[in-house]
Amino acid sequence: MKFISDVKLLLKITQEYVNAQFTIAFSAIFSLLFLLYCFNFSEGVWRPIVLVFFAIYAATTIYVWLTSLVIKKDLAKHREVTKRSRLLGIPLILTVFAGNVFAAGYGFMLASKNKTAEYTFAVYAFLTQIFILMISGLNIFKPYVVDTFILAMGTFIILAALYLVTAILIARHVTVDTAPKWMLPLGIVLLIPTLTGNFFSLLLGITLIRKARNTDPSAVEKWQKTWNKILRNTMAVFGLFFIVFMFSLSVVSSWTFDYDFAVENNYAVLLQTPTLEYPLGTDNFGRDLFSRIVFGAQISLIVGFCATIIPALIGGALGAISGYYGKNTDNIIMRALDVLYAIPGILLAIAIIAAFGANTTNLIIALSVGAIPTYARTMRANVMQISNYEFVESARALGANDRSIIFRHIVPNALAPMIVKATLTIGGAVISTSSLSFLGLGIEPHIPEWGNILKVGSTYLESHSYLAIFPGLCIMLLVLSFNFFGDGLRDALDPKSN
Amino acid sequence: MNKKLFTLASTATVAAVALTGCVETKSDVKENDGAESTGTKPVIELLGMGSSEQDMNIVRDQLVKNGFDVKLNIQPDYGSFTAQQDAGNFDIAISSWTTVTGNPDYAVRGLFKSGGDYSRTADKTVDKLIDEASTLTGDEAKEKYKELEQALVFDNAYIAPLYISQKFQGIYKTEVNPDTVRLPKSRAQAWETISFNDEGKNASETLVLHQAIASLTSLDPVKANDGSINTLNTNMYVRLVNLSDTDDVVSEGSLSYDHAIAENNEEYYFVLRDDINFAKVEGEKAVDTGDLVSAEDVVFSLNRAKDENSVPDHRTYSIHENIDTVEIVSDLTSLESVKTADGKSILEELSDELPAAISEVVTDEKDVDNAAGKYQVVKLTTPNPFPQVLNYLAHQSGGIVSEAAVTAVNTFDVASYDPNSDIAYGDQSTITEGGSYANHLAASGPYILVKKNDYEATFVKNPAYQAGTENEPKIENISVRFIQDNDSALSALRNGEIHVLQSVPETKTDVVEGDENLQLKTADSNAVSYLLFNTSGRETAKSADLRKAVLYSINQSEFISYYQDKKKPAVSTVTPLIDTGLKLEADSAKVKEFLNAYNESK
Repeated sequence: MKFISDVKLLLKITQEYVNAQFTIAFSAIFSLLFLLYCFNFSEGVWRPIVLVFFAIYAATTIYVWLTSLVIKKDLAKHREVTKRSRLLGIPLILTVFAGNVFAAGYGFMLASKNKTAEYTFAVYAFLTQIFILMISGLNIFKPYVVDTFILAMGTFIILAALYLVTAILIARHVTVDTAPKWMLPLGIVLLIPTLTGNFFSLLLGITLIRKARNTDPSAVEKWQKTWNKILRNTMAVFGLFFIVFMFSLSVVSSWTFDYDFAVENNYAVLLQTPTLEYPLGTDNFGRDLFSRIVFGAQISLIVGFCATIIPALIGGALGAISGYYGKNTDNIIMRALDVLYAIPGILLAIAIIAAFGANTTNLIIALSVGAIPTYARTMRANVMQISNYEFVESARALGANDRSIIFRHIVPNALAPMIVKATLTIGGAVISTSSLSFLGLGIEPHIPEWGNILKVGSTYLESHSYLAIFPGLCIMLLVLSFNFFGDGLRDALDPKSN
Repeated sequence: MNKKLFTLASTATVAAVALTGCVETKSDVKENDGAESTGTKPVIELLGMGSSEQDMNIVRDQLVKNGFDVKLNIQPDYGSFTAQQDAGNFDIAISSWTTVTGNPDYAVRGLFKSGGDYSRTADKTVDKLIDEASTLTGDEAKEKYKELEQALVFDNAYIAPLYISQKFQGIYKTEVNPDTVRLPKSRAQAWETISFNDEGKNASETLVLHQAIASLTSLDPVKANDGSINTLNTNMYVRLVNLSDTDDVVSEGSLSYDHAIAENNEEYYFVLRDDINFAKVEGEKAVDTGDLVSAEDVVFSLNRAKDENSVPDHRTYSIHENIDTVEIVSDLTSLESVKTADGKSILEELSDELPAAISEVVTDEKDVDNAAGKYQVVKLTTPNPFPQVLNYLAHQSGGIVSEAAVTAVNTFDVASYDPNSDIAYGDQSTITEGGSYANHLAASGPYILVKKNDYEATFVKNPAYQAGTENEPKIENISVRFIQDNDSALSALRNGEIHVLQSVPETKTDVVEGDENLQLKTADSNAVSYLLFNTSGRETAKSADLRKAVLYSINQSEFISYYQDKKKPAVSTVTPLIDTGLKLEADSAKVKEFLNAYNESK
């Protein structure tokens, strides 16, 4: 009896098994969706491509289910996943080419026993790169591609190969606390692809450099621990993956996508249903919905990030000053912010845009102003708590001036809740941007932005529903991703759980 | 191992090269278009309303493709749009014009003649051509209007035409009998003919119609001329003549039995009915005042219609500036002596449709008795031969108001009128629910407005309107629902919340056709959309070359394909009334030529 409960416990703490359950669920849901969509009920014909996807996903589901059985058996017999079972993970990696990031991620997890944060970073950097490669590759079916297309695609392939090689090297040579010295240059090289917006590469590079230099083992350990906590949360990882993927795609889109397809009207192809040339169809002006959504991510993310960072900086500074000095300073700043807080954020944004006109800068300002008080409140509470600690007293005793106490001693220690709050509200900022554009108050209507695209789609909901579904899905997924990642971050940074 | 790696690498290289070869890059494709015009791109500010966003996008796209930089100025509603227009914050503005009177003069006079109600142009040649064309008919008129279009559009490019719209009317046929709903080309919707499928419901059920604008300018026919009251006032006041569905001037459904034009085209005669009384509202019901809609009221109404100083803020006097005198005919023999163009006498011409032959013409409304042959006849004169005056009489501003009711309300002095304290006849505050409600309307038409709020306006039938004839209103109660957004209005029609929608969006006609509860009716319309150039201050005002460059950038066929062939090409606002044979063709070579000329002149 004791033996069985032991296996149950083992199953619970074995990441591969948990991951397998998760992958089965998602692959099953997707195969079901493909199954539903593969038959055109109104015309009574099959959609062969969708059918193929259904077959791949269904096969993946069954395969993952079988591997989960093997893991269960291994754990019962050997108390660990055997080397032979781990080989079963390698074929799963190929499912990335069918877009199944869950199964591919699981395949990588299963294939390596060594689960350092670097390995996960390298794996997701690779998956992101492959996704971008495939998405950009769809442009081959367009009448023409941009001049930089071949070069960019070549770079993507090289980068993907680099990440894959790095992942293999890490699996072989990097342990939880050390990395061989010769990995230092590799780490530096991996910082360069950050220019493509692939943040996994940045994280990978930083971690590798710190580990290889090994100057401050305790900091490395703390960093490693935090990331391990985040990475153990599967939803947070996929959230981060989608955010990085979208961000990277919006950065590189200028080199692989032609902006003309997204803004120039083409009256010969109005309201086309999805084809290879127009993977998500065309809108009422014959513009390629696929290109529009990709370019739309740029504005949504820029506005989302800026409208989060600006109030976080201003509100954070005001909150820190207010919390540190207290008394009248506190009263004046916080009461003034209370006045601002009393005005509904979206109404304030509408009023600002109505007064100063609609463009990206005004949109960022409008969304930022309303969010300042909440950041100030969060920061103030943290600073009030921290300014009573001994290390602040000692800094004061050593003669440090107020500015250096606030910004060098207190604020860095009060940042964790701000980061979590920012991640959670960034999704809200993306939605606000889209809502304002949807109301016709945001960006000019021909500029691709998710709210604009959704607005056009909403009037064709009945006849050409894909015009609304795809931008809607994108907004939803991005916001969900930020929320999942924010949740994971909160759990990891929560002092109670540390 | 090394050999394998080498094979792999070489295969990859070959594949990459093959791939590079078969993909065409943008510079391969667009090589020929490389000859961009040199110099800085002219910046054009395009002004429009949110509702014409699609048109703005098409214009923007066409201008950008022809080497302009376009700045959009999108305003949410008509009020802020006109504010921007009046402030001159535009180079080109998306404008539209509907010729509700169905005559070509109205399509140009107010819009393009120097000093006209809506005019922003001042060009002597254009003024002269407008005046000359107004006196002509037939092929002569066609030639003159062709000259006008040449001067207005092609020589000077004061406007750049976009398209002519068509009318798409959706009817909720499960409830309303679609055969009874008219769809005229120019005139406003006529309510009196509409009936439910089950005629028993006409007395009890409310017919629900739709209008986009909830703020009513004025219910005095001469104090407003816009979409907010056009349909309402048309149904609340009867006129001397009407427009048929195909824009002929007829007496059917009007105050006159018949009308006649003297052979000199300067005298017009109308013989009046005696079966219409004014109605007023008492306790939310329409009551017959017993006051006949008489020749005295006609004289009073038309005299105030042509006199700028008869009411404060007169909006329609320029339409009626061609009326010289209006009088009641007192002598039957004068009708016998004047001849029409056919050689018949006016009396003969007027007598065609009468219930009893004219035995006497009376001047006092108390003496009127049509059954006994006692009629009132109104004579109207114009200073010059101007047959199109009849079209203007059919306009809502020619509606007949009650002399008694109007003079009872408008007791103030027009010159010192203060909108804050003085309430004029037809002010919307008097029929809006709430403290200021004091309905003083007197309706001569088939329906009378009881009250309104931001959601709807309710109307009831005038009990003394041609009772017993085929023109008697069929339905007792009508509610006009205010829904600003056209797509929302369509949804309301689809679930039966409104019964008739006059303006189904072009891109949604298939939705109406596919709905078994609905019927779609289509008709030509006089609505023309065009780009209006700023004629003061901006570069577009100074340079005809720049305007012409914009003009030849406009490709009307792209508009037509965007609207799924539901628009027609236009040259000017006259096109739906008289096809002069001219055509605007997009021509990027001409655009380059004019742009170069513009750049050189700078």
